[in-house]
Amino acid sequence: MTETLASGQLLFAALATGASYALVALGLNLVYATMRLLNVAHGDIVMLGGYAAYWCVSLAGIPPLASLAGIALVGALLGMGAYRGLFRRMLARSRAAARLESNSLLLFFGLSIIVQNAAALAFTATPRGYQTLTEVLHFGDVALTGNRLAALLVAAALLAAIVAFLKLHVFGLAMRGLIDHREAAAVVGVDVDRVQLACFALGFGSAAVAGALLSMTEQVSPFMGFPFTVAAFVVVILGGLGSIGGGIAGAFVLGALETYGVALTSASYRSILLYGMFVLVLVTRPHGLFGRRSIVR
Amino acid sequence: MRSHRDLCVLLAVMALAALLPAAAGEYWVGIGISLAMWIALTQSWSVLSALSGYVSLGHVVFYGLGAYVVVASWNALPLAAALPLAALAAAAFAFLAGWPVLRVRGPYFVILSLGVAELVKFVVIAVEAGQGNASRLILDTPDLNTIYYLMLGLAALATLIAWGARITRLGHGLRAIREDEEAAETLGVPVARYKLTAFVVSAAVPGAVGGVMALRATYFEPLQVFDPMVSFSMIAMSIIGGSDDLRGPVVGAAALTLLSELLWANAPELYMMVLGVLLVAFVLFVPEGICGRLLAARPATR
Repeated sequence: MTETLASGQLLFAALATGASYALVALGLNLVYATMRLLNVAHGDIVMLGGYAAYWCVSLAGIPPLASLAGIALVGALLGMGAYRGLFRRMLARSRAAARLESNSLLLFFGLSIIVQNAAALAFTATPRGYQTLTEVLHFGDVALTGNRLAALLVAAALLAAIVAFLKLHVFGLAMRGLIDHREAAAVVGVDVDRVQLACFALGFGSAAVAGALLSMTEQVSPFMGFPFTVAAFVVVILGGLGSIGGGIAGAFVLGALETYGVALTSASYRSILLYGMFVLVLVTRPHGLFGRRSIVR
Repeated sequence: MRSHRDLCVLLAVMALAALLPAAAGEYWVGIGISLAMWIALTQSWSVLSALSGYVSLGHVVFYGLGAYVVVASWNALPLAAALPLAALAAAAFAFLAGWPVLRVRGPYFVILSLGVAELVKFVVIAVEAGQGNASRLILDTPDLNTIYYLMLGLAALATLIAWGARITRLGHGLRAIREDEEAAETLGVPVARYKLTAFVVSAAVPGAVGGVMALRATYFEPLQVFDPMVSFSMIAMSIIGGSDDLRGPVVGAAALTLLSELLWANAPELYMMVLGVLLVAFVLFVPEGICGRLLAARPATR
């Protein structure tokens, strides 16, 4: 048992899961931290990205690594559409923050149901997958397929690029300003509307890419999204609101917990582990996920 | 008072509905069962979620636990004991889970309730798989008319409870919590006790409803009885009907049960999509629901 746990194989699996969770959670974190919108449909964007990659392969023969940029763009456009069409008016109008949070949650939930069932209607509920980069590579005692390695590397590169953008670019700085203090950011001349639009674009785009990368190694199905939403919530809670670095660390913690937990028990406990973590972190942080406010009681 | 008249009208309609099996065939009795089920579930949901603003996305957990209790105790207990036990089990679970879960506020409570329901679903699946059951069958269930009367009784009971919760101190306290929980607490509303009471009360009838539906289905499959779409339907019906009004859940349940009869058999995905679109549209444009809109329109036309 200890031998299995110490194997490089398992470590790689934990890293791969962590990287995909980090990419999924990043978008959720950005949209929530800047606008206080809890996007329960986030996982469904992952699902759509997976289907987009699948259809590119099976209809046009475009390999996933080539279609990635296009999928990111479509995801970003979807995000901008959702912001412009549904949430901008609500954000501008709502004075009561609590009401806004609840209403936006119901909106996202409705959207999630629409997207899931539209996908089931259009693509049927049958899981779909394709073969890509299936040759086995050996590194010491670790054997892995090319698709797993490629998905991990692309996810890691993208994460690094987004972190650099948020840390270094003026626009990334504006996003972080909005996270830290909305009103103050507006006062010093940040164009709040444009930054919010960009957060939606970046959030949805990165989720779509995460889905496309996932489809390289796993099958996609219409109702696969929600567990990713839950995983992303866990990651964001573990890492802290708006903390991009914390979120990435949290993703690798969850990836390791899940991989090693499943290795110690059985694959049928994966869901229990994930939802158990979710309930646990929420119950232990009852006053807002990110505990900046002091406890009232 | 308005709500007294509403209650009398609703109960009179339900009493009339008891004549349905004598007047119509099995097909209509089947629709009657669905309608009564949704009224019972949505009324119960509204006790906690509409009044206190703690929107539960996980109410299916009580329905599923009730079904589980009835199926697991089949042949061991008479139905007259199993159904109350189902309600009791759901209420007990709400009581135990409520302590930690209800401390979580606003949108976090919403997603947490969904997470708890999913967690229970996967635990039940694991337990059943551990015993070698993928699904269970129950035999010698009561006939359709008996199931209909049971469900109609639960719908009336849930309506009565929802009315009671609205006119008592509990209801006023819950509404105060919805508007501003901290202010309510400062004014002496026993916030934690009221929330827990509402949670337990809103869990009991759904437990019994789940038990009755297990009799109807004659089999038990965790993925089906813990389907999050059941919770989603309760919310959609309540918001579309008008969640702050005693008639709202009935109006919403009637509208959507009708829609589901038209669509569900042939295109279940389409039905869910329409439900999603309706929910989004009502949240955006008619947040007070059909009943709220009609009530608001009345003084203007007078």
